[in-house]
Amino acid sequence: MPDLILGIESSCDETAAAVVCSDRGILSSVVASQIATHCKYGGVVPELASREHLRAIVPVVREALERAGAGFDSLSAVAVTEGPGLVGSLLVGLTFAKAVSAARALPLIGVNHIEGHIHAVLIESRAAGAIVQFPALALVASGGHTHLFELPEEGRYRLMGKTRDDAAGEAFDKVAKLLGFGYPGGPVLDALAPHGDANAVRLPFSKMKGNALDFSFSGLKTAMLRWVQARGMDDEIAARRAVLRSSEHLSIEEWLAATPATTLNAIAAFQRVVIEELLRRLDRAAEESGAQAIIVSGGVACNQGLRRAATAGRFPCPVYFPTPGLSTDNAAMIAAAALGKFSRGEFADLTLKAKAGLTLA
Amino acid sequence: MKREIYRTAGEEETIALGRTLGARWPRPCVILLIGQMGAGKTTIAKGIAAGVGAAAEEEVSSPTFPLIHEYGDPVSVYHIDLYRLDTVEEVERIGLDEIMERHAIVLLEWAERFPSILPSRRVEICMESDGDEGRSIEVTEHDG
Repeated sequence: MPDLILGIESSCDETAAAVVCSDRGILSSVVASQIATHCKYGGVVPELASREHLRAIVPVVREALERAGAGFDSLSAVAVTEGPGLVGSLLVGLTFAKAVSAARALPLIGVNHIEGHIHAVLIESRAAGAIVQFPALALVASGGHTHLFELPEEGRYRLMGKTRDDAAGEAFDKVAKLLGFGYPGGPVLDALAPHGDANAVRLPFSKMKGNALDFSFSGLKTAMLRWVQARGMDDEIAARRAVLRSSEHLSIEEWLAATPATTLNAIAAFQRVVIEELLRRLDRAAEESGAQAIIVSGGVACNQGLRRAATAGRFPCPVYFPTPGLSTDNAAMIAAAALGKFSRGEFADLTLKAKAGLTLA
Repeated sequence: MKREIYRTAGEEETIALGRTLGARWPRPCVILLIGQMGAGKTTIAKGIAAGVGAAAEEEVSSPTFPLIHEYGDPVSVYHIDLYRLDTVEEVERIGLDEIMERHAIVLLEWAERFPSILPSRRVEICMESDGDEGRSIEVTEHDG
């Protein structure tokens, strides 16, 4: 009998549940904010903190089980994010998972959210028949994380570098807001970047003291602020904010119409520097570690410019990205990370705690 | 009310000032970090957390997305960023009033937008860039 694992994720903004099978891979993956747009919960978009998680958790788990054609009776274990994240948010998922574990006598498995992001790639590549070779590198980049790990073998992690200030996704979102594209606007910048000339605006690369594989994006963010201030762009930015207020779903053509060529150039330059900051660390880490594969995951893995640049033959080894739905926060990655722990019998008991500052290595 | 103005020439001096300031006030202590994007709020937070032995400087990163970073075991520094929050209700939901009662330093970014939630006894650190590496840093102690 293949094993079925229910995964639950509530570490930050998203409430998510998923069912993963040891044989057949991901059977379902439900994220509350995605189905909320279908007005399932009266249009309430669950975000920010425990009350929204509390509202969403029961329907999201039910939906994940239904879509998988599974019931609590058919599960082998329940897995849940134990950290890092907001304690109040983590507690909702943890408490729900513990209740399921106790009521159904199912083993409970605690999963590190960042390890989950890496497993999003591992489970998808297995399903596609492309087995990730080790040693591997994993870059997890999102609104809240920018971590670079070496994986000597599956399940072992060594931290090679991390951000000392802003996360890569945060830099995208804050610069987007600065330019009047709203928050979070990282994906808008990614879509506009190919329309500008990255060589037309000079932006600084970070200079790291100490660990050269650490990241820093605050200097770049500040350089963008100075670039905007030097140009007196208030009217242009106000015009874009007006565009933003005019509609909820703006097309890229509408954004292009509100964005002059000089600003498109700055966006292109910004996008290129962020991508290069990430890829240069990977270049160096790949050389140091002799990696056989590179994994890129987290919300920033949705960035099309990053995907193109990383898969254009730059690296001597294959580069794996998750599909967009598994790049951002989800629970399939939590259940996927739990499969190995399940087979090794690594179970938690009901004293499992929320760990806000949990690290992977 | 007590007010002091400092000038720092670069990141290292800003961190060093944070180290001195963090150790200065008895806990519980609420410190507002005020300044626009790029003013150095996360930089001075590094110094404050390191100065009280809660974390190494390089451990302290921006809490914008996760809202709250905790440092020390037991937690002696909370670094909280309300940038992503729009309403007082949202701020209340992250449990700020409870955190502010703990025996810890609570660093708050973008909290001046929500005056009703601020304790009358607090420190405000206002940071401004000189357009380059330098920062002017005004420290105001409100006695409550």
